[in-house]
Amino acid sequence: MFLKHLDLTTALRPLYLPDEVLLFVQDNVGLYEGKYKLPNQQNGQVYLTSHRICYVDKVEPRKQSAALDLKEVDRYEFYAGFFKSSAKVTIVPKPLRRSALHNRVMSGTGVNSRHSTPSPTSSNDAYAPPSGPPPASATWVCNICSFSNPVPSNFDPAAANAHTPLPPCLACGIKPALSLVLKAAISSASRPSPLLNPSQPGNINNYTFSSASAVTLGLVDPFATPSEQGKADAAVFQCPRCTFSNHPSLLSCEMCGAPLLSQDAPSTISTAEYIRILSQSPGPIKDTSQGAVDFAESVKISFRGGGEKIFYERLKSAMTQRKWLLQDAPPAPKSSRMADDNSSSGSPGTPTQRTKTAGIAGLEQLGLNMRKNNEILIGSAFEDLEALMTSAKEVVALAERFAQQVNGANADVTSKENTILAESAHQLGLITTKDIVGSGGGSDSLYFSELARNLAEFLTDDARGVLKRAGGILTLVDLWAMFNRARGGVELVSPMDFEKAAQMWESLKLPVRLRTFRSGVMVVQARDRTDDATIRSILAWLQDLHEFPPDREVAWDWREFGRGVTAQDTAERFGWSLGVAEEELLMAEEQGVLCREEGLEGLKFWKNYIGKTDIAVLQKREAQEEADAILRRLKDTGLI
Amino acid sequence: MASTTPSEGFPFPREYFFPAFFTRQPNLTIHHAQLTKWSSLVLAYARHHRIFRLALSAAADSDLFYNRQLDRRLAPPDIREVVDFMRKDGRAEYLQPGDAAAAGAGAGAGDVVLIYWRKPQEWAVLIEAYVDETAQKGSVLTVYELTEGENTRGTEFHGMDNGVLMKALNILVKRGKAQIFGSEDSLGVKFF
Repeated sequence: MFLKHLDLTTALRPLYLPDEVLLFVQDNVGLYEGKYKLPNQQNGQVYLTSHRICYVDKVEPRKQSAALDLKEVDRYEFYAGFFKSSAKVTIVPKPLRRSALHNRVMSGTGVNSRHSTPSPTSSNDAYAPPSGPPPASATWVCNICSFSNPVPSNFDPAAANAHTPLPPCLACGIKPALSLVLKAAISSASRPSPLLNPSQPGNINNYTFSSASAVTLGLVDPFATPSEQGKADAAVFQCPRCTFSNHPSLLSCEMCGAPLLSQDAPSTISTAEYIRILSQSPGPIKDTSQGAVDFAESVKISFRGGGEKIFYERLKSAMTQRKWLLQDAPPAPKSSRMADDNSSSGSPGTPTQRTKTAGIAGLEQLGLNMRKNNEILIGSAFEDLEALMTSAKEVVALAERFAQQVNGANADVTSKENTILAESAHQLGLITTKDIVGSGGGSDSLYFSELARNLAEFLTDDARGVLKRAGGILTLVDLWAMFNRARGGVELVSPMDFEKAAQMWESLKLPVRLRTFRSGVMVVQARDRTDDATIRSILAWLQDLHEFPPDREVAWDWREFGRGVTAQDTAERFGWSLGVAEEELLMAEEQGVLCREEGLEGLKFWKNYIGKTDIAVLQKREAQEEADAILRRLKDTGLI
Repeated sequence: MASTTPSEGFPFPREYFFPAFFTRQPNLTIHHAQLTKWSSLVLAYARHHRIFRLALSAAADSDLFYNRQLDRRLAPPDIREVVDFMRKDGRAEYLQPGDAAAAGAGAGAGDVVLIYWRKPQEWAVLIEAYVDETAQKGSVLTVYELTEGENTRGTEFHGMDNGVLMKALNILVKRGKAQIFGSEDSLGVKFF
């Protein structure tokens, strides 16, 4: 499938691949496949990244979301919209050449030749008469300069008309007449076999029969055949134009330069693809069958809320940059200076370096080498901007290691926190900024919802464990500070935006929630952390205090009542901040689970052993009292 | 008088040993429970020690409101709140400043509280039952006789506070079951 299933993060955003960078987000889009709307994918957000285009459905994000890789995109078109039809960007997948060929064959002969595809014998059919001519082998001779040009691979003599675009002559640049190319194409098609006429079904029947019988009767082992035949072909790879016998590994004729067609790999296919197919040649079954099935129609993204122009622009630049190629690109070649330094500094020390050193001296030597390496790296990296860009990855890694070492030296809590933030800062490459987000009708709601998702990811990321470290609860102010620090001082979020984004968690059904205490303090919690859960954990803790004797003599029976706890104790016990602990205790008190004791030692909270009266009873009582008071007043005034 | 009574033998409830019991609870429902428990504690304590009037300022240092073992005490404003709560329940009453009975009780106005571990109505019923039982209907008894006399020894109202007794007798008078006459010192009651 061109559209693939998409993995989402906890915040229902696409899970990014390594090195993937978010470029653009737009909401209110729908998907089309070919001409038809995909019924379940009509309302969602589109994420354009450096590697993919992701669609995240609004209604059923886990089920309906899809992504397509930019590397499989052949071309993309822009449609500006007209009256009621909204603007669209059409994305056409790269057809696997195999499947394209098949399609042409199918349309040319009008017979479904698919049952030949599972058999590798079909690989020979590219040469064999019935399955059609390899179009690229045809040439037309320019009548200006008499250079023999190849007929374009997508030139179909049956469908060609005066409007078919024709490439100019490769030598002189003069466009050929249609009839010339047509003639060339037809003659080349008829040269290998004059039987291409679809009005000769007998031939096709013969062919299908023979190929089918070959498989079914086991006359030819379908798995053994290709290699044997491949070998036979391999020995002499005849050029279709000049009949020179080429070595099989050559891609173009040694004599005339005509493209050499391998049995199943057409000439226009990319080299990598070609090699891949060649390497799999013993069993191309899966490949070809896939190719036939995989052929998908183009995908259209309909922008109902605007943003199509920016999307198109960014898509264009993403397609030009082709970041996906970098994913496993080899590191940039090291500069000559580096090598020089290495050799000059290393040559006297080489024997000692190579020798297996042990003990402290060995460790020191190791450290020295490492430092020298770092020095070289930094030196070369800052030579000029170009060098810095090529070695960016290594420099970043180095900087992080330095940061770790610095923090490792004075390991207190805050520096540890900073380390985590510094570590995570680069992971925050996928930040939401206002210019990434398309303007959905001038409102900022998309920006806020994206920021909300971004925050939720930041919070729930297991590697970072922001929430976990804070005991599952964090004040909004702390989070704001942490988040902005993690952004490294750029693209800071304003407190107002931050609050608005946090308030959207609820409606976006994200795994974190914003809670406002009675005092107005706003905190961030995981969604599953309800008041009940908090109370349960506090109570369990207080129950434990019945079992463990207090630090010093106490006047009361601690086995019966346990111990009173302060907000400080609670904060230490659960890893909360002091304010949060206080609020949680107050919350529990309000629920009637805890009661307080104000004494010289401050405010302490106890499990409620006083008991509580039913609210209903209390209300009834109040109502009764009110009624009594009215009666009394009526009596006083002498009405009764 | 009540404040100096030793509290030996009085079984304090469990809450009395719970430190948080001595702090006013802000939670309404807990607070209500707290008041209820305090009020029943005060009543039980008063019944045990036969306390009829309580001087609040003095009582604040008594065992009732001051747990020496825990070193926790109920603060005077909270004591007043408890008394107010009891008053609403008909279980306590401030002695009116102008009241003659309050004169001897010491401290300032509104400090002394009558504790009704039995309400005046209940006392009235008890006295009426006693009079009925001992066949003294129609005869005249002095108030002193009722509380301190030999005959009432063993009844609940023996040694009863005068103020409370008068309230109970007044109820009987209102019902037409008794008549009070005589002067300040030598009050007499005639039962019908």
